[in-house]
Amino acid sequence: MKCEYCDLLDKNEDIIHADDDIVIAVKDKVTTSGQITVYPRKHYPIMEMVPEDILNKCVSAAKNVSIAVFESLGAQGTNILVRNGLSAGQSVPHFGIEVIPRREEDKLNLEWQGKQIMEDEMEMTFQALEEDLKKPSIAESKEEIVVDEGETEATLEKEGDNYLLKSLKRIP
Amino acid sequence: MADQPKSIEDLSPKERKELEEKLKNMSPEEIADLQKQQCIFCQIVQGKVPSKKVYEDDTCIAILDIQPATKGHLLLIPKEHYAIMPQVPDEVLQHLFKTSKRLSQALLRGLKVGGTSIFMANGQAAGQRALHFMIHLIPRKDGDKIIEDTETLIERSMQEKVRIAVQDKILSLMGVEKQTTLEDIKEEVGEDSDDGDEPEETQDTESSDSDSEEPETEEEPEESEEDDDTEEETKDEDVSLDDIANLFK
Repeated sequence: MKCEYCDLLDKNEDIIHADDDIVIAVKDKVTTSGQITVYPRKHYPIMEMVPEDILNKCVSAAKNVSIAVFESLGAQGTNILVRNGLSAGQSVPHFGIEVIPRREEDKLNLEWQGKQIMEDEMEMTFQALEEDLKKPSIAESKEEIVVDEGETEATLEKEGDNYLLKSLKRIP
Repeated sequence: MADQPKSIEDLSPKERKELEEKLKNMSPEEIADLQKQQCIFCQIVQGKVPSKKVYEDDTCIAILDIQPATKGHLLLIPKEHYAIMPQVPDEVLQHLFKTSKRLSQALLRGLKVGGTSIFMANGQAAGQRALHFMIHLIPRKDGDKIIEDTETLIERSMQEKVRIAVQDKILSLMGVEKQTTLEDIKEEVGEDSDDGDEPEETQDTESSDSDSEEPETEEEPEESEEDDDTEEETKDEDVSLDDIANLFK
């Protein structure tokens, strides 16, 4: 499967900026016209896989884009959206931050219906998250999660690499 | 979505008017102070209003939204009061995203959902309700239709228009020289496509080593270096990020 974002770099017409780490582009497939997308040059499917320094650059760029659309496109607001995973509406397996310019009359509705959640369900969710947050992040220490199965220190040391190598293999 | 400061909502028309009068005579600093006092999220940060706090550090807290879009909907809130993203200093924003990355993982792994929407609203036109900038992390499942964020195709001419409208501004904000032609971008982009093995730090910052471009090499999957991480196929029950990433295939 070819990745459209990696691909965009071939077509080029709509690239606002590109350097070694990030690309700022106007995609052809958007939530609303005027949308600008910031994404890493390299192929990382979801946010969890983006190295910190690259993510930082994306974030700064997205902020600048957000400022720019107020002035240059006359936006009255912006939404910043990361579709992280297929279930979140991500159509291209390449992490990106979408900056969506908004106007009062744009008819776009990105709001959701707030739900009432039962107290005990809330508590269960809370505990599940708290529990997970105690565990090491996968990106930092992929192998620690499997340590019970007898990993050695040597493999632990490489953990960051392994994780990233793995994501690399997914480059189409 | 959670709440506006109740105190303002509850005002009678008369009180509201008085407040408006008062605001007119205040300096921007005083107004900012008042906003903070009125801000429910500042009160949550200070612990004056109870919340289900799943995470806290010096810069931010993450709480469960009391009226969630889906179960596990988190609000990541900077402790300092900023109204919209453009006001948030880069370091703080970067920290928030770094934290989002971890929290999103907790949602994917801890709640076993299929994806997360990471969402911010700047300005009323964008649906912002509270005057305190925050990041929503919303657990998603296939077909849940929580957010109507369908994508549509736009004309090439529209893309071009948008680019022309914003390019100068963005580049000047970033402090980047404008690439004179698209060819320049193309060349720069074409260059170092294939330094595969370590996606992180290895960026040779200025890849100006005389060579011209190697076309299309980035398409090759890097099979060669898989050897040393055979133990990776973890058999644990957790939803792995790879599962989520692999769904695309």
